[in-house]
Parts: sequence; structure tokens; C-alpha cells
Amino acid sequence: MNKGNRLIKSIYTTLLIALIMLLMPAISWSLDLHTWSEDEKAVLRSLWIGSLPPLPEDPSNKYSADPKAADLGRKLFFDSRLSGNLKVSCATCHPSNMNFADSLPLAHGIGTTTRRTMPLIGTAYSTWLFWDGRKDSLWAQALGPIESPVEHGFTRTQCASVIMEHYKKEYSEIFGPLPDFSERDLPLQAKPSADEPVALKAWITLPREKREAITGVYANMGKAIAAFVGTIVPTPSRFDLYAEAALRGNPSAMLAAMTNDEVKGLRLFIGKAKCTNCHSGPLFTNGGFHNVGVPQPEKLPPDSGRSDAIAKVLADEFNCLGIYSDAKRSDCAELRFMDTATYKYFGAFKTPTLRNVAERAPYMHAGQIPSLRKVLEFYRDLKPGQRAADLEHGDLTDPELEQLDAFLRTLSSPLKFAE
Amino acid sequence: MRFFYAVVSVCLVFSGCKTMEESPQKHGAFTRHYESSLFQVTKMGMFSVEMVVREHDLRTGVNTVDLILHDKNDKDVIGARIEVTPWMPDMGHGVFEKPSVKEKGGGLYTVENIILTMSGRWELRVSVTADGMKDSAAFDFPDVKVDRGHDHKMVESPTDLDLSTEKLTEHGEFRVSYKSSAAPVPINMIHTWQVRLKTPDGSSVSGAHISLDGDMPEHGHGLPTEPEVSEGVEQGLYLVEGIKFSMPGWWVMKFNIKSANKADSVTFNLLLKE
Repeated sequence: MNKGNRLIKSIYTTLLIALIMLLMPAISWSLDLHTWSEDEKAVLRSLWIGSLPPLPEDPSNKYSADPKAADLGRKLFFDSRLSGNLKVSCATCHPSNMNFADSLPLAHGIGTTTRRTMPLIGTAYSTWLFWDGRKDSLWAQALGPIESPVEHGFTRTQCASVIMEHYKKEYSEIFGPLPDFSERDLPLQAKPSADEPVALKAWITLPREKREAITGVYANMGKAIAAFVGTIVPTPSRFDLYAEAALRGNPSAMLAAMTNDEVKGLRLFIGKAKCTNCHSGPLFTNGGFHNVGVPQPEKLPPDSGRSDAIAKVLADEFNCLGIYSDAKRSDCAELRFMDTATYKYFGAFKTPTLRNVAERAPYMHAGQIPSLRKVLEFYRDLKPGQRAADLEHGDLTDPELEQLDAFLRTLSSPLKFAE
Repeated sequence: MRFFYAVVSVCLVFSGCKTMEESPQKHGAFTRHYESSLFQVTKMGMFSVEMVVREHDLRTGVNTVDLILHDKNDKDVIGARIEVTPWMPDMGHGVFEKPSVKEKGGGLYTVENIILTMSGRWELRVSVTADGMKDSAAFDFPDVKVDRGHDHKMVESPTDLDLSTEKLTEHGEFRVSYKSSAAPVPINMIHTWQVRLKTPDGSSVSGAHISLDGDMPEHGHGLPTEPEVSEGVEQGLYLVEGIKFSMPGWWVMKFNIKSANKADSVTFNLLLKE
């Protein structure tokens, strides 16, 4: 019995050694590629979707986590009655079947804007909204396009009419009774827009209490839309499966999640190419503003980006410190301590998330670059001395660009949102 | 002669340029006086403008240049009204902050606060109004480069960074320590530091004025926020609110401290990781 056992054992051992020797070349080769140092693991963990905290509540919007508000917000998001031509809704530029971002270089509502539609993935985590960060909350952002003459071409007075007519019950269940507006209180073309004197005059000649009541309804609309848009988050991508497997030490799951080329791209991304300087954290963005030197399209006016937006967000009636905000002063640290050195931000735009980036051509703030590959080439080909130190990407070769391109495609995943 | 001294002193102090008084170069009716200057005759031929760029090279950020003006008779142009406009011809834009011009006498004008916001091709457009005449010239800078550092050249990270959170100030006037409200010091999160200020022998210092300069020496940029320092309730305790680090890497935080009778500064290193 003992002998037999020993024999079987030794046969097994021999077989095992033979198997290991057979697999040795493959294993040792991929060990290099798939072995991560503790420092590298810390970076993988920081990018992994598991590091994304639960949806944060926005202190300036006390309805941000209210499912009823999200429900109303979803209806408003898809409602094209909130536009001058009854054809434009938030979903026009942010279609839900296209990852909430159209594929045009410049956003197109009633007219054409001067910037690319932004992704809505994980916006609840954003400090600054829009390419230039001229809004400091998602609800304040949601209100911008509605009164923009080239987007919804609508007014807050018309919004109040739509709420009264179509959403009165839902509105009052969330925000309390809707103020009583007579037809005279809601002129069609009235809004505090410095670029539209007719509408501005109609607006400022309304009694002050009426203006505040109308703007209150408008702000609540924004808060409902934000409660919905804030639920749009990514689900685990192939990169996340890989990172999780690497952190748990599960080699077969690692190999199943990403190809060797994609992993090489990941190594470049967090290493030599230094992409994580700006594309950091589980949403692959530091939320900051950087002038990367992408040329402004000739047909568009010059765009100063963030430097022009600093005064705008401070002056915004819907900012964190404004009367329509639900935040305490101490909740508004980002606004209070905002850098006001405008010259540092000339031509700077917000670092966008790289989640689902492959699904979202064309790229950059005015859709200047048609493909991911071309974006990578753009960063590589920036002349030394003409690029900021944040943009030192090493001397990347063509095959390395391909690996980075392949890696970026592993960041795609279906989006999750309140249905 | 006054003019000569003015220019020579500028040259000695800032750029070490060489005068060409002995072999002046003729440009039509005008004379070029300085070898290291950029020379232009204004568009309608009323003045000559020589530009001396301090530090030899325009860079992104804040720059200073000197202008030396002569008229057709090679006389110094005194009391001119001068406007300088930085312009990016390829991008079709200028800058928001106007440079300031100060007359130094003898036809010398110093132009300060020329803020170039990005790298690339720039023009400095100079308009001159003097003796009831107005004329202009444009100086071309085809390749303005990124300034590596907002106060300094880009610095490589030393291998043996002193990462201690308690230090004596540079001249030994104070002992300073800090504690972050979030540990380890986070990336991309606004947070507060508590700073303790003591004399070297350990007694708390209240009522000091503290200012802060955060910087990323390898990248040449500072913090993305403007932190504020206020005095805490405890003796010698100060709160620094609004600190945010935008990326991993080597950061330095320099505190400038002024008490009733002493001033000193201290620099802390941080090595931030994801």
C-alpha cells in the first residue's frame, strides 16, 4: 500500500515537473509582462473601477440622491418640448444608445456650438463641468444648454410653463408646491442673457419676486436632471477585470481579460508614456485644466478655454455659493480656493475621462482629431520645448502607439444609469 | 550722454550686451547702436526701435524687455507714449494682461509684465507716439518655448529627498511642522493642513503671517488651487485650507513666515503616489 502510494506520488511528481518544463518558456515570458511591482499594483488599484467611491451626494443639490428627482430628471432629459424648435432635448447631443455622446466634431442643437459634446460618464464625480469648467455642479451645468441660443434655444420662463403644464404633480411631490404663475408672469422670450437684449429686457422688467420664483423652478429642473445624469456610471471593463485579477493574484483571469499587446499598452500608460500624469484615478482624469497645444480649427473663433471661465463660474448665479444652492459655505471649498491666475489657463481645457474613449471619436475640445491613433500621434509628435513637462511621453515608437491604442480600447464597457 | 549711461547700466545689469558706439551700423537714416539688440525701423520710418530681451530669450510666463528709441536724426526719443501688445499671429489672439511701460530716460523704456500664455510664434507689437507722430513696429519671435518652472528652470528630482514633516526654517528662526487632514496626502482631493509654528526652543508662535507657494519642480507648475492660511484656536496652530495636488510625483511646499520681529521660510518635500 505504502509502496504503491509512493510510486503514484513519484509518477505524479515527474509528470508535474515535465508539465512545468513544457510550459516554462510561455510562463516565464508572460511572467515578466504580467508581474507587477507593489508600486505598479498601487497604480493599477487606483485606476481600477473598484476604487470608484459610491456616488457622491452634491451638497449644493439636496435632491441629488433622490430617486424621484432622478425619475423626473430622466423624463426632462429626453423631453424635446424644452427647446425653441421642439426638436432638441439633452439626448440630442447625449443619445443614450451612443454612450450619451454624439459623434460630431461640434455639438449641434438648434445651431452649432464651438465645442465638442462632452461625455456624461461619471460626471457626478466632477468638480468642474464643461470643457472650460465654467460651472461647478452638474445641476448648474444642466441649465446652461437650455438657455443657449445654439443648443435648446429656450428660456427659463418657457421651462416654467412646460413644468406647469406637463410635470406639475411630479414637481410638487419632490420640490413642494409649484408657485402660481399667470400667463403674464411667463413671457416666452425672457432670460438674463447679456447677449440677447430683447429677452434680457423682458426678463428684468418682470417683478423681482417673480424672477426669483421662476429661477427657483428652473434651478430645481437642473437639480432633477442632475439627479438622473449623475447616475450614469461605467461598469467594469476588460481593464478592470485584469486589474482585479492582478490585485488578487489570479494569473488565469489576468490572461483571460487582456491580450499581451493590451497589457504592454497598459505598462506604457502607467510607465514610460506617463499618461497617468493627467489621466489618473478610476475615471482616468484628474479633472484639471491643461493646454496641450491642440490647434484651434481655423473656422472657429479663438478659444481661451479655462482662463475665460474662471470669472464666469465665480459670477454664476447657480454656483455653490449662490442663493439657489443648498450648500453651506464650508461645502464650497473648490470654488472658494479656486485658482484665479487666469494666465496659467489660457487655452486650457478639462482632462476628459478615458472610460469608453474608443467609442467616442472625434477627439479634443473641438473634435479636431478624428481617431485615437491620431491623438496618440499628436501627443508623441509635440515638439520638445513646445510642450509642457506634464506632456513628456518618452520617445514612443509606432508599435508602442499601437499597444497604447489597444490598451485604451480595453476601457470600454456598457454604461449603467437609472432607468 | 545720459542715454549712453542708462543703456550701459541696463546692459551691465541684465544682459551684458556690447555697445557698438565705435562702429555703428547704418540702416538708412537710422543707426543701430547695440549688437545684441533686435533692431526695427517703424513702419512709416519715423523711429528706430531696439529691443533688448532680458534673459536673452522670451519664454512662456512673465517677461521683461528694454526698448531704446531714436528718431531720424539719431536723437533719443524722450517722453514717448509706448504700447506693447503681445500677439499670436497664427492663433489670432493676444493676452488679457497689458504689459506696463516705464520710461527710464535717455530714450530707454522698460516693458514689464509681458505675459506669454503659451509656446509657439509670438509678435511683440510696439506702438510709439512721440512729438505728435504715431508709428509702430512688430518684433517676431517664431519659437517661444515653454518656461520650465514658474520661478525657476525645471529641476530633476534629487534621489535623496528629505521628506520630513517637521523642519527648522532656512535661517533657523522657527521650527515648523505640518499634518494633513487626509493621510497619506491625497491626489486630486481638496484638503486642509494643520501647521504648527514654534521658536527653535519649542515655544508656540502666534500672530505670524504665513504665505504658501506650492510647486512641482520637475513640471514647472504649481497647485491647481489658491490655499488660504488662517490662525487656529490653539497657540501657534495655523490652518491651511484649499490644498490640492493635481498629479503624482515630487511636490514642494514653501511656507514664508513673518512674525512680529522675524521672517524666514521653510520648504517641505512630498513624493505623492497613487
